[in-house]
Amino acid sequence: MSITKETLEKHLKDPAIFCCRREKGLVISAADLEDPGLFEDMQDAGLLTLSPDGLRIEQVIGATLLKDVEALTPITRDVIDRVNEVGEEKAHEIKAKEEKEVKEVKNVVESGGDGMIHIEIGKAEKFEGLKLCVPVFSQGNAPAAPEAKSDEKLGEKTVIRQLLKKHIKIKDVKLGKETKIKDGVITIDKSIVERAVKEDGLCKSLELEVIHPSNRHIYTETIMDICPIATKVEGELGQGVTKVADGVVFMLTGVDEDGVQVHEFGSSEGYLDEKMFFGHPGCADENDIIIRCHAVIQRLSGMTRPGPFAAHKCQDYIIQAVREQLKDYDGEVVREEVCEDVRRVGNPRVVLVKEIMGQGAMHDNIICPLEPCGVLGGQKNVDCGNVPIILTPNQVRDGSIHALTCIGPATKEMTRHYIREPLVEGLAADSELDLIGVVFIGSPQVNDEKLWVSERLGSMLETLDLDGVIITTEGFGNNHIDFIQHIGQAGKRNIPVVGVSFCAYQGQLVVGNEYATAMVEENMDKGGFENDIAGCSCVTTEVAARAIQMLKNRMAGVEVKPAQKKWNNDVINANNRLLGLPETKLVESGTLH
Amino acid sequence: MRLTTVEGMQSEIFVPVTPKPVFTELKKPLSECKVAFITAGGIHKKDQKPFNTSGDFSYRTIPFDTPSDQLMVTHGGFDNSDINKDVNAMFPIDRLHELVKEGFIGSLPEETYTFMGGGGNVEKFMNETGPEIARKLKAQGVDIVLCTGGCGTCHRSATIVTRCCEQEGMSCVVIAALPPIARQQGAPRITAPHVPIGSNAGEPNNIPQQTAIIKESLEWVRDCPSFNQTKVLPYEYRHNV
Repeated sequence: MSITKETLEKHLKDPAIFCCRREKGLVISAADLEDPGLFEDMQDAGLLTLSPDGLRIEQVIGATLLKDVEALTPITRDVIDRVNEVGEEKAHEIKAKEEKEVKEVKNVVESGGDGMIHIEIGKAEKFEGLKLCVPVFSQGNAPAAPEAKSDEKLGEKTVIRQLLKKHIKIKDVKLGKETKIKDGVITIDKSIVERAVKEDGLCKSLELEVIHPSNRHIYTETIMDICPIATKVEGELGQGVTKVADGVVFMLTGVDEDGVQVHEFGSSEGYLDEKMFFGHPGCADENDIIIRCHAVIQRLSGMTRPGPFAAHKCQDYIIQAVREQLKDYDGEVVREEVCEDVRRVGNPRVVLVKEIMGQGAMHDNIICPLEPCGVLGGQKNVDCGNVPIILTPNQVRDGSIHALTCIGPATKEMTRHYIREPLVEGLAADSELDLIGVVFIGSPQVNDEKLWVSERLGSMLETLDLDGVIITTEGFGNNHIDFIQHIGQAGKRNIPVVGVSFCAYQGQLVVGNEYATAMVEENMDKGGFENDIAGCSCVTTEVAARAIQMLKNRMAGVEVKPAQKKWNNDVINANNRLLGLPETKLVESGTLH
Repeated sequence: MRLTTVEGMQSEIFVPVTPKPVFTELKKPLSECKVAFITAGGIHKKDQKPFNTSGDFSYRTIPFDTPSDQLMVTHGGFDNSDINKDVNAMFPIDRLHELVKEGFIGSLPEETYTFMGGGGNVEKFMNETGPEIARKLKAQGVDIVLCTGGCGTCHRSATIVTRCCEQEGMSCVVIAALPPIARQQGAPRITAPHVPIGSNAGEPNNIPQQTAIIKESLEWVRDCPSFNQTKVLPYEYRHNV
């Protein structure tokens, strides 16, 4: 692979190696040389042996080749007509100059006497040398001299809509004869399971059980989902008022009639206290009461699409009964959370792209159901063809995604994750950015379709006129094809991009491209495996903070150093320290597949 | 534009490079070759221990005279319904017997080896499982090895084991539903039918399609000019999950 002039300038002092076979008479340029960033890997793979007689890039540029030379061969004195004389300083000079230019970000906004506002931006990654002339709107004869816009006004917040989330205190949950909420206690009619199970023929039985925080050392079948109890009391998803039960969540577990775990692929059956990362966004919190809804689905349907869906649908029938009670319950409000969809015109326009599973079996998501985190009324992203769908940050924070993806639960985002997604929260709150929206894109099963949906995402990113993108994925393996493709879609349009994923050891990328150079790791397993602790390695507040900072660096032209050649948690913690974040402590799960 | 920047941050995830080429040229006509078929798609005999679906570097020995209805799949990385209908969609054992009968290939070895490559431990497959499978196939006089992956990391594991076989002196091809992975991981040869993961060797019960995919993959073993080349096969199957 040849290199660009920019790469060449960064690597003047590195060894000069031909990327491909080159013939006698060639005048050597960047296009003929291999990227020094790859040398370490190539040496590891036995593809390249560096020679002490090899020349540096700065010594060979412009020289003429005297004989044919094979690919990946160091260029030595005997094969070229001349060696450039260069001092040690030259490279540093160039580098110093580059740095200076990058840091000179100067915005000038002024109004002139010709009825136009003239904006001149000195140098920034995307606006280099840009001049804009904007007409000054005026109704009268004399052009009104508008107030010069100050820097403070750029990025001023305009609220598009508000969502109020009222968190209602729940002290206890009981199973009884009718479903009601009174004095902070939810009672669920025990016999509701008999009606719920009729919602889908593939669901054979349902069982409810209340698990208190003090009693978590109990056996559980694999965790299929953690779902909050939230309901609309005013407006539609993303606006108005939503009530969320505080201190309680539903947990869906499931097996088939033969006792085989649904989601048998890193399933999380075992002792509950050991099988969930309590406190992570998708999980139950330390003090949450858990209502376990255990489903038994039809034999052999666990690894097909309708089976797991049946379990989710039947559980939703039960949750809906509780939602109906919550609507009318005027209990203690422990927290009022105001969420805003805003525009901050003048700030960098960014979107968050979330790649979600879309391959059938249990790899599906329900988008925009009628109730927050619900099932009814939503569309399955597999049925939507996995195409990118854009939601407002408020819609996401109001439970627009119901996740059916909890296979390999350590690296998947459960339903609760989305209603409190740290990247959505972080980007929406950041006064230096303008979060345009959150794109959900499914990961299809077929390679051609992966590329197809990624092309659609590329067009969307382009038309949104973006300054930056953060792309996340869940799981690892085939979804990384799409993930890397998506990063490429942004990268080739010169949109600064940061990728966020679980990779570590087991999930190391299976494909890559030249744009995947600002990447954030989600792993929290000691061995770097996808362990069987639900919600262990996913987007956390710390992951989000690193990703957002990396994106800002990229947009401002501040270097993000290249990754080491192997997963190393020290790199992650070095980044954490730079940002004043707590250390990423890895969990010893004993996983060693 | 005012952005807070922080100097000194480092990217946390590395991007792989394609490993060293391995390539064994086929020197016999296909009709004289002994052809093995391995798979990372989690196929095993019904009476064998199922794979650990969250990651497993062990393998199962499958005698080639095993009736296809005695085989099953244990794999969590994709929708299993196609293989439940017809195991030949991943491991086309019936088609291989037909090709011997037809004289398209010479023979099959007595036994072959299957594994579940999903979430596969790279070093274990590279240093233990792969070389062991390669030695056992070579010892049976195998000339050609065909291989299917299943899910994404299956393709990685499949490619690693296939590379071990190529290294051992057999000519191999990965029949890939996810060709970018096979390519990046350094498969010696790749064929790419338009199929979903889970039916890597063709639509269940579609005998002509399965046969064509195997035949053209074998021809690619014969005709592929150099390391890591892909041939796209003109067969399409869409699985409505």
